[in-house]
Amino acid sequence: MSKYLAFAQSALQTQLAYRGQVWAAWFGRLIQVFAWIAIWMAVYKDAGSVNGVTLPEMITYAVIGSTLITAWDWRKLIYTLGNSVTSGDVAIYLLKPLRFPLYLFATECGNLTYRIAAIAVPVIIVATLTYGVLPPASLFHGLMFLAFFALSFVLMFLMAALCGLLAFWLMTAFSLEWTLQGILSLLSGSAIPLWFFPDAAQGLIKLLPSAWIGYHPIAVYLGKTTVSETWFYFTLGLGWAGLMAGGVALLWRAAATRITVQGG
Amino acid sequence: MTTVIAARGVTKRFRQPKRFPGLVGSLRSLVTRQYTEMTAVNDVSFDIATAEAVGYLGPNGAGKSTMIKMMTGILVPSTGTVQVLGRTPHLQRQDNARDIGVVFGQRSQLWWDLPVQDSFELHRRIYDIADARYAENLKHLSALLDLGPFLDRAVRQLSLGQRMRAEIVMALLHDPKILFLDEPTIGLDVVAKDAVRRFLAEVNRERGVTIILTTHDLQDIEQICPRLIMVDHARLIFDGELRKLRATLGSSRRLTLEFASDPGVLELTTARLVADEGPIKHFALEREEVSLIDVLSEVGNGRGLKDIKLDEPNIEEVIRSFYQGRNALAQPA
Repeated sequence: MSKYLAFAQSALQTQLAYRGQVWAAWFGRLIQVFAWIAIWMAVYKDAGSVNGVTLPEMITYAVIGSTLITAWDWRKLIYTLGNSVTSGDVAIYLLKPLRFPLYLFATECGNLTYRIAAIAVPVIIVATLTYGVLPPASLFHGLMFLAFFALSFVLMFLMAALCGLLAFWLMTAFSLEWTLQGILSLLSGSAIPLWFFPDAAQGLIKLLPSAWIGYHPIAVYLGKTTVSETWFYFTLGLGWAGLMAGGVALLWRAAATRITVQGG
Repeated sequence: MTTVIAARGVTKRFRQPKRFPGLVGSLRSLVTRQYTEMTAVNDVSFDIATAEAVGYLGPNGAGKSTMIKMMTGILVPSTGTVQVLGRTPHLQRQDNARDIGVVFGQRSQLWWDLPVQDSFELHRRIYDIADARYAENLKHLSALLDLGPFLDRAVRQLSLGQRMRAEIVMALLHDPKILFLDEPTIGLDVVAKDAVRRFLAEVNRERGVTIILTTHDLQDIEQICPRLIMVDHARLIFDGELRKLRATLGSSRRLTLEFASDPGVLELTTARLVADEGPIKHFALEREEVSLIDVLSEVGNGRGLKDIKLDEPNIEEVIRSFYQGRNALAQPA
């Protein structure tokens, strides 16, 4: 276990070496948050609430949706993983007494920690000071939000890892990244809450793993789910994570076998 | 002496999809799948004992790296078996990894953005090295290779020679029983090459670490490895002492003497004239015990000697003369 902690630490340290990059990311994120807030303010101009959701709730939704949940750069994982499996550089990791997928996960935990501290937290502070962000609906919802947030990161990691590993067979990480990007921007709910979707579509989309990336954590934070619903979605999300972790393990084993048998 | 590595009839074949040239060819590759088969290692067998230092020599593309990868467990032999410390490397990759150190001249294992000592620290955590042991190894090894001046610098800022030294130290931090090095001196300047060679020879001698290194530089073998395994076109062509190979083939060091003006016919007892271009004469130094001094003192002063150049035979020449002199050589051990 100690070694994986060390990987997380060193990822954090590596990020610090490139701290100049953060300013661009930070500024971009802030603009995005303000843009969404402006959109919701325009939408709510003449209405107190839409679908039972108030403007302060929407502002809170926009701030969490465009900072915390998306703070981590999953595109980079797809690229680095895709490149290292297609180029065969991944063989270096086969030489060490470690499990490569766990190594990746530990590294990305380090990256996430840094990006939350350096990008998400400052943006949230600025947004809170300018527009106001609501506290969690209750202590239960606040604590469960943290659990959902961790789950959303795990699921996002697994989706990106699946895409990165698929690059080994498809020989391209680029198209996979765009596909995932497209799916997420529409179905994750980190931009547009799923409750604005048509009822028929909502039922299905809420059950897809993408909904755990943005929608479910924020809905829990705002108290839009009952206690039993919260547990139901949490359990279902864990199920998705288990399924995808199995997929990653399987693909990784297949890739490793192909590298060792065919030489990449 | 116990055997630490046993290779038996090891063959590695790669199957690669055939690519057709041009646009039409690209379209064709979409619908047809033809494969070209390439044999990188062909029926190679050898045994390596504890604390041996073995040079695995061959020209580019002879299958040296492939063999190293099979011994370290990141490639599976197509046929034949490899045993390292009694294990099958690709089946017990993690256990094997703890007992071996691997250095690739062409691929860095250090963490690019971290200072050297942080890479070492990560290595300590990966391999669970006891603190005292780690501190001792780090101190001893970095003193030997003079890493002190750049231990706190990021790896990406190091010169190739510094990086290589750091790579080698890292590979030894967990006290591996066997050290594999794939072209460790490639691209290094003379001074760095020399430092690396002397260090490896010492590690082998003092710590009893078994060393297997691939190279296409004969001098690597000369200074580090008493034993030589030579491969060409995927096949093992010689296994034995370098001295034995030299003795049988004759040392083929080339000496070029350049004179201010043509000194006329120059016959020497210490060297054989192979080409005469007037003021520039080429000799072959065929006997091991003859030194440059001997030749020069025979040439003597007063002939207007302007410049001299001594070339070690390169691997291609050795292999060529090996094939020529093959019948004279005893069968590989």
